[in-house]
Amino acid sequence: MAEHSPNEADALMSAYLDEELAPEEAAKVEKLLSESPEARAELSGLQNMLKLVKGLPEVVAPPDFYEKVARKIRRRRIFSMEFLGMLLLPFQVLSVVLILMVAATYMLLHLDNDPSVKLEKDPTVQPPPAPPTP
Amino acid sequence: MTDPDPSAPPTPRVVDLAAVVEPDEPEPASPAADDPNLSPAQREEAARRAEQDRRDRRLVRRLKEGDERAFQELVQTYQNRIFGLMLRMISNRQEAEDLAQEVFIIVHRAIGSYRGEGRFYTWLYRIASNTCKNRIKYLKSRNFHRSVEIEDSPQAQLPAAEGGAIVTFQSQVPGPEATVEGQRMEVIVQRELAALDPEHRLLVVLRDVQGLSYQDIIRITGLQEGTLKSRLHRARLALKERLAPYLR
Repeated sequence: MAEHSPNEADALMSAYLDEELAPEEAAKVEKLLSESPEARAELSGLQNMLKLVKGLPEVVAPPDFYEKVARKIRRRRIFSMEFLGMLLLPFQVLSVVLILMVAATYMLLHLDNDPSVKLEKDPTVQPPPAPPTP
Repeated sequence: MTDPDPSAPPTPRVVDLAAVVEPDEPEPASPAADDPNLSPAQREEAARRAEQDRRDRRLVRRLKEGDERAFQELVQTYQNRIFGLMLRMISNRQEAEDLAQEVFIIVHRAIGSYRGEGRFYTWLYRIASNTCKNRIKYLKSRNFHRSVEIEDSPQAQLPAAEGGAIVTFQSQVPGPEATVEGQRMEVIVQRELAALDPEHRLLVVLRDVQGLSYQDIIRITGLQEGTLKSRLHRARLALKERLAPYLR
């Protein structure tokens, strides 16, 4: 392991407190502590602070926590289905209107162009003779 | 459903899953419970973790098969830890509850993308910490400040020399005074914790409040081991500095 400067050893002090250092790293911190009263004071301050933080009471979620989560999931599921339905509705209406319009236009144009269309469909009616070709 | 706070900004309804859900990566094997190099306490901890992992895997498999009962068990297993993480990070009970609920909703939606290669526990915590960081960013961008919710009495502001200090949450003599002192100290610690940079705060909460191992924190945050050690140390020094007037 590389030689640690005092600053590097200082940075390892927290990990030393947590017993998360390799033996050689821990030895460096211990050397620093034996030589430096400031380092010892810092370690002691950290220990006192950690006692406070680790003493924070455990937090308990509200008893109906799961019910609230389940309700939100259900609500979002319904919302997304309704939303999808609402999103598709204009397209469905538009399709029907478009089909009706095409049908109406076709019928109007067809009737306008050839008013005798019904007579022509009668098989007993003979078509008029064609004019003699010159 | 919780009552919405009119002063609070609306929680964004659409969560970008990609922003909070990362794929689970294979994790190095945890120490085996029968490893002779471990101390009895470490062996006990390894056995407890192995049992928890097995239980989580079963629940996740059932959840993927559409068993809502498995989801309920998962929520009830982790709700206190996730709610606790949010409360210590955000310092507001209502906001923390909403966020913790959001985390489980994301898990419900994204469980299909969980491949089961890493531990469920660290995947859940990754989602929680990403959700929390996004929320803090969102609140910060709107200059939204919430005070520490627990009673913040003027006496709690007094430093040690002026009779306002206590060094533990309960004095040696149990009783109402100890309870009041404990609550006051909780307010102080929570307030100073909330004043830390969010990245530092997360590390202190994960390690010192929730007691996670360095390996778990590395998997949750994606930090390198050296970075975690030095950053955690800086975070603790900053908190020590802030709490110095209350330490005897």
